[in-house]
Amino acid sequence: MQSLRSSAIDSEVRQSVRPGATKRDPRLGLAAGHFRGSFNAMGSPCELLLETADEVLAQELLQIVATEAWRVEDKFSRYRSDNVVARINQSNGRPLTVDDETANLLEFAATLYQLSDGRFDITSGVLRKAWLFDGSDRVPDADSIAQIMGTVGWHRVSWRRPEIQLLPGMQIDFGGIGKEYAVDRAAGLVSRRTNCPCLVNFGGDLVAVGGLRHPDGWQVGVETPGSNASSAQKLILLKHGALATSGDSRRFLLKDGIRYGHILDPMSGWPVECAPRSVTVAADSCTQAGMFATLAMLCGKGAEEFLEDQGVRFWCLR
Amino acid sequence: MSNSITLRYRVMALCLSTVLGGCTSLGVEPWERDELAREDMQLVTDPVEAGLDDHIYFSKEASSGGRGFGGGGCGCN
Amino acid sequence: MSTHNKRIIAASLATATCSLLGTSVVAPVQAQEDPGWDFNTALLYYGESDGRVQDVSLNVLARRAFVDDRFLTLGLAVDTLTGATPSGALAYDGPQTFTRPSGLATYTTPANQTPLDDSFLDTRVALTAGWQQPFARLYSFNVGLSASKEYDYLHLGANLGLSRDFNKRNTTLSLGVAFSQDDLEPVGGAPLPLSAMLDVGDLSNRSGDQSKDVTDLVLGLTQVINRDLLVQLNYSFSKSTGYLNDPYKFLSVVDGSTGDPISRTPAPGDSGPLHEYRFESRPDERSKHSVYGQAKYNMSGKVLDLSYRYMSDDWDIDSHTLEARYRWPFGDRRYLEPHVRYYTQSAAEFYRIGLVDGATPPRFASSDYRLGDFDAMTVGLKYGWKTRSDNDMSIRLEYYTQDGSAPSDQIIGNQAGRVLYPDLDAIIAQFSYRF
Repeated sequence: MQSLRSSAIDSEVRQSVRPGATKRDPRLGLAAGHFRGSFNAMGSPCELLLETADEVLAQELLQIVATEAWRVEDKFSRYRSDNVVARINQSNGRPLTVDDETANLLEFAATLYQLSDGRFDITSGVLRKAWLFDGSDRVPDADSIAQIMGTVGWHRVSWRRPEIQLLPGMQIDFGGIGKEYAVDRAAGLVSRRTNCPCLVNFGGDLVAVGGLRHPDGWQVGVETPGSNASSAQKLILLKHGALATSGDSRRFLLKDGIRYGHILDPMSGWPVECAPRSVTVAADSCTQAGMFATLAMLCGKGAEEFLEDQGVRFWCLR
Repeated sequence: MSNSITLRYRVMALCLSTVLGGCTSLGVEPWERDELAREDMQLVTDPVEAGLDDHIYFSKEASSGGRGFGGGGCGCN
Repeated sequence: MSTHNKRIIAASLATATCSLLGTSVVAPVQAQEDPGWDFNTALLYYGESDGRVQDVSLNVLARRAFVDDRFLTLGLAVDTLTGATPSGALAYDGPQTFTRPSGLATYTTPANQTPLDDSFLDTRVALTAGWQQPFARLYSFNVGLSASKEYDYLHLGANLGLSRDFNKRNTTLSLGVAFSQDDLEPVGGAPLPLSAMLDVGDLSNRSGDQSKDVTDLVLGLTQVINRDLLVQLNYSFSKSTGYLNDPYKFLSVVDGSTGDPISRTPAPGDSGPLHEYRFESRPDERSKHSVYGQAKYNMSGKVLDLSYRYMSDDWDIDSHTLEARYRWPFGDRRYLEPHVRYYTQSAAEFYRIGLVDGATPPRFASSDYRLGDFDAMTVGLKYGWKTRSDNDMSIRLEYYTQDGSAPSDQIIGNQAGRVLYPDLDAIIAQFSYRF
């Protein structure tokens, strides 16, 4: 998914590079009728679209948004060895006291575990040791899955705010929440600073704030997986609120004609059967949209039915 | 002759800058466009109807255009 | 979560999200699928009283939105015209016989009736294509092509527009130019200006095909005044050159003291007009200047749309057009919109109700009622509603009337008691559907 209004030819691209972080490379440019700032965070291209003529303000807001994205990434990425997630995952069975923000995220994860009857589980990341979704036919054997399943399950975690205690070998991963959380946080910071209509887009999970000049709102394109970008886009008009997408057609295994999608069921350790290729959901906040999309994927065949029951707008690709 | 043309251009340029300058105090902030963005607040709410009206009046009266181009393309006038 | 038991988690998720983000959501999500194509369709009936022009018109305007506010617009219009239109000849106490435009037959108008040419029958097909896109940050341009074809008429046109926003996009300046080239192939050939109407079979006063070129220029200023008021001001200039006559219109040649048409006898063995008529003659250039102003005013949901246009040309025609619409919504899905339009124009400098026999013929003369001195009024009402699938539908009904008068210094003798200006009453009915 990408925000389409952003892809105009940048007529005057000015760079502002954060010292020591050239890879993340924030840029501010003039696109069709608005400022567009772009940078990289959380392994995705990120952007901020701002409907204002004030370049100084645009520059400032881009810095705020990028800084927040990097902060959330640095703090909650499971790929780093120096953050709170690493400390929890390396605690080796010892209890650990966490800060407020981490506690809020853990609390949220605990609620979602309950709401989803165990299907949404931030301890399921260890299954990735066995499942490498690289398009090959290397489907793991049942024994190795069963062995890993001994360290999966939120019910094995002792969580009494602000103290968390994992069993040895267990790990947590905020991958299923982090990006959407960062989008909502960044959008919140922008609207605290200005009333300008804006769109915060981190790799396709996005939120729009404020009444736009355009009567229809922002145009957001949803790519249909597995086909040409130009031919298979659906335009969604977003006036206010968030869109998040779950699913990626490129991450799968194929063996004996069976396609194993990358959504793993933490209760069995196996990919969810008949999960949609991608689900996009519109909701008030990016976090909600992302959760609906993820939970719908976990419902497999019942994804559409689940989303219909929730009364949300969604776009499901099978 | 050429002097008067230059002068006229200057006067026009002056008028234009006055118009544009005067306009800066008018208008709204981007987030105040909710009402203006409504479909019924567009200058032309129904382009087809506007085109039909232009066509009717073009073929029955001596005036045309004004809002846009003069219409026409019709043997009716 | 189970696919068997419905589990609604939306409310719990909203609560959990609020405590995670430490905020509550201010406005609920508003997202919809872009239809991609947007179709504006309309079926229009236009009918004049007394068996004059009837037009049924079908219009489709399709708009496709692309990435980055770029739009493609395609339009199709098909008109079917039938009925009769005033030929330009004066009404008279006796019957009048005319040669048809084809030059192959005659027709007769009964006594005391405004002569109408009833061979008015045509189908018109018009196509338009346009492209619009922004560039740089504050500019936008559009290009368009148009073509239309009737039995005796071909139009080709192109237009180009540029606009720039100022003052936080509260001010927009725009410039547009349009060119068109029209070819006329009148039935039977275009009659030479001021030539006499001849007997059936005699086409010696007909010339070949004709053409005209029109250049239009529009300069526009749109200004947002405040949250509820938007105004537009345009200046436009239009120049037409070439054959600007209506090849089917002619004037009666009348006696200088009685005002009655001059009798004529067709050649022996031929049929033809029994009075003298001469085909109209207009200048081959016309320049028009117009100023147009429009205001849209939102009064807590009700919208007033006011516009005024002043037009002046070098044919000495001046016109004023005042128009008002008031959109009055009721419920969330319906509205009523009354419409009033007042129009008044002065006559062209060469407008004549007839030509005087024996007098030096003027260089230019036309009795086309559309070049005369008249007022017109339109009153109408539109009712619009949203369908269950959120598409827009509307119907409108309007009444259009023209009330003109012949210049008093041109009225001669017996003409005083006759209808010298063909007044017009018409009904406009339209059904629109947008999806």
